[in-house]
Amino acid sequence: MSTLRDEFRDWLNDNLKGEYECLRWRGMPGDDEAYPELRKIWEAKLGEAGWIGLDWPSEYGGRGASDADIIELAEEYAEHGGPGRCGHIGETLLAPTLLAYGTKEQQDKYLPGIKNGTEFWCQGYSEPGAGSDLANVKTKARLENGEWIIDGQKIWTSLALESDYIFVVARAEPGSVGNKGLVFLLVKLDQPGVDIRPIKQMSGSSEFNEVYFTEAKCAEGDIVGKVGDGWRVAMALLAFERGTSTIGQQMTFKNELNAVIKLAKQNGAANDPLIRTRIAKAYTELQIMKFGFRRTLSSDQMSGADFTSKIFWSTWHRNLGELAADVMGASAEIINEGEFSALQKLFLYSRADTIYGGTNQIQRNIIAERALGMPREPRGGQMVTKG
Amino acid sequence: MSFPFSDDHDMIREAVRGVLQDAYDGGKGPEHIYKSGAGYDAELWTSFAQDLGMAGIAIDEAYGGAALGDLGRVVIMEELGASLASIPFSPCSTIASDMIAGVGSDEAKEEWLPKIAAGEAIFAYTDGHHALTVEGGKLSGRVNMVLYGAQADVLLMSFRDGDKFKLIGIPQGVKGYGAETVETMDPTRSFSNITLQDVMMKDVMHLGEGTPEQFDAIVKTSFIGLAAECVGGAQKALDMTLEYLGQRVQFGRPIASFQAIKHRAADMYIAIEAARNAVYAAAMAEGDDKVEAALIAKAYASDAFFDVAGHAIQLHGGIGFTWEYPLHYFFKRARANRAVFGQSAREYERLATILLGEAA
Repeated sequence: MSTLRDEFRDWLNDNLKGEYECLRWRGMPGDDEAYPELRKIWEAKLGEAGWIGLDWPSEYGGRGASDADIIELAEEYAEHGGPGRCGHIGETLLAPTLLAYGTKEQQDKYLPGIKNGTEFWCQGYSEPGAGSDLANVKTKARLENGEWIIDGQKIWTSLALESDYIFVVARAEPGSVGNKGLVFLLVKLDQPGVDIRPIKQMSGSSEFNEVYFTEAKCAEGDIVGKVGDGWRVAMALLAFERGTSTIGQQMTFKNELNAVIKLAKQNGAANDPLIRTRIAKAYTELQIMKFGFRRTLSSDQMSGADFTSKIFWSTWHRNLGELAADVMGASAEIINEGEFSALQKLFLYSRADTIYGGTNQIQRNIIAERALGMPREPRGGQMVTKG
Repeated sequence: MSFPFSDDHDMIREAVRGVLQDAYDGGKGPEHIYKSGAGYDAELWTSFAQDLGMAGIAIDEAYGGAALGDLGRVVIMEELGASLASIPFSPCSTIASDMIAGVGSDEAKEEWLPKIAAGEAIFAYTDGHHALTVEGGKLSGRVNMVLYGAQADVLLMSFRDGDKFKLIGIPQGVKGYGAETVETMDPTRSFSNITLQDVMMKDVMHLGEGTPEQFDAIVKTSFIGLAAECVGGAQKALDMTLEYLGQRVQFGRPIASFQAIKHRAADMYIAIEAARNAVYAAAMAEGDDKVEAALIAKAYASDAFFDVAGHAIQLHGGIGFTWEYPLHYFFKRARANRAVFGQSAREYERLATILLGEAA
């Protein structure tokens, strides 16, 4: 019996070759700058063949794929070294949000571009003064002559330079504070009021950007939910992050661990008892993550696996980066032909994992307060910093 | 209850919890048993095994068991870990019954599995292949730290005979058999040193045989139960800690509101949930994957239990250091698991060998 997975495997064998061969194993987090144009063409190929949005409703071209199918396809993709997906923010974060909270018009307007692999999205949440304290957004939006006018600045925006649109959390009620008075807007990036500046990171690459809005515009109908719903929609979107969007990541992790294992066997590090234990532990924790993911997908209510997954994977990945560097030994220091190797990138880029998407410290607060019911720390709204 | 458990498992959890609550006076704990030095609660074992019928949780229905497999056992072991009840479920209803089911002859299965399921016989198990000698039809040797060895009606032992491993059962009280209970740092269980002196092989039950790999796989997969006990114990230690942190006031507020405290509690929870994933994954694994999953569960959960129990004492402050407060029993149980069943380094090296080959 032919399954979706078999079909996908055949398709990958037929298509991930020739001019696309160079994309194999490239473009993962930390390597986002690899072949951006060709990866977008690849996305359109995926879209054309129907491999995007398989679990969407049939009216938007879904094929009734189950969670189990999605996991299998992600496994297949990773086993072939399928390149990092530039469309993942649109497909796995925005699309489910629009399907749950968007209007029919918004769904009709934005889902096809995501489905076809031709329109790309990035996420406008963090600001210089709103990192861990995300509700402290200062970017303003006002409704004027049937348009939203946006002023402010976002930061740490992944893939902004490669994207067509950004979803922006902004403050629409003047004088509102915290998570009140916010809106969730869908904004085109290619317009005079938007300026994108890449941030050069310690890993040498520039996945992250600053995005400046100076009287940038979007249509009145490009608000998801109502004025004041911004926080709720923004959080609902983040909840999708715990679902299917992390599948591909697990497969990437497996490939990375395999690369570390391969190198350790080649250069003799595999004989070092401490390295052996660390590799065995990395493998152990990878298996633990895999089952935690299954627990998440298989239960209706939040389980412990949901609360702990971000801090667990990010810490695991950072440790893997350190392990990779230790397996490389002194050669980890050497830069060949002016470019970091894959394992050097892993080592450097993985420092970001325990910061973005809620730092490990924020994760511990969330676990303590929501999973364990411990009291909130008194908030420092009234605190004065001495100058 | 949520994945991976079914309604049957939920009912069992509730029933087991109820029996333990009744036995221990609404959760005050089994200290009277610990203080007696016996490490064995015969009365509770009778109600647990015979009245509640839990000893055969994983035994086939054909032999009078409930056929609820590893997940059923995980439920029970979590509850036993949380209560630190002094009963021989672990040796009798995990490894011993698995040995008989796995490598036992048809006769052995028919004779003994129903007795275990009915709570009519206590079995313990130890591997004797380094410790026993057979000469002139007589068995001699000494094995130490056998869990519930002194209470066992039959002590199962494995030993090497050519290419094969043999499974024998030595009935309690047979001539030449001596069991001496050892006082250990962990008073929640009973450990014994067993001496065999010229035990006649004809007095020994020959229960089955198999390859060394078969025996090894049964020992390894029995670790799933041990790992579940660690999860249950760690969860209880965390629950006790959270209760205390909410009550204890310093600097004018419950110490549970301090971030330094909250973050350590969060780390305890993260370790427990990860261990839970490992244990449930192992319970659900099948075929060749099961041994590896069991190694992972045992290594991770036993370390998590020890770490969590240590954190629990730290977060309790002075009270956690007293004998009267029952937290130290969890710490001691966690430590004893490492001592008796081996430290995680052993499992990690075995996994490393699978991943990397033998070290040069």
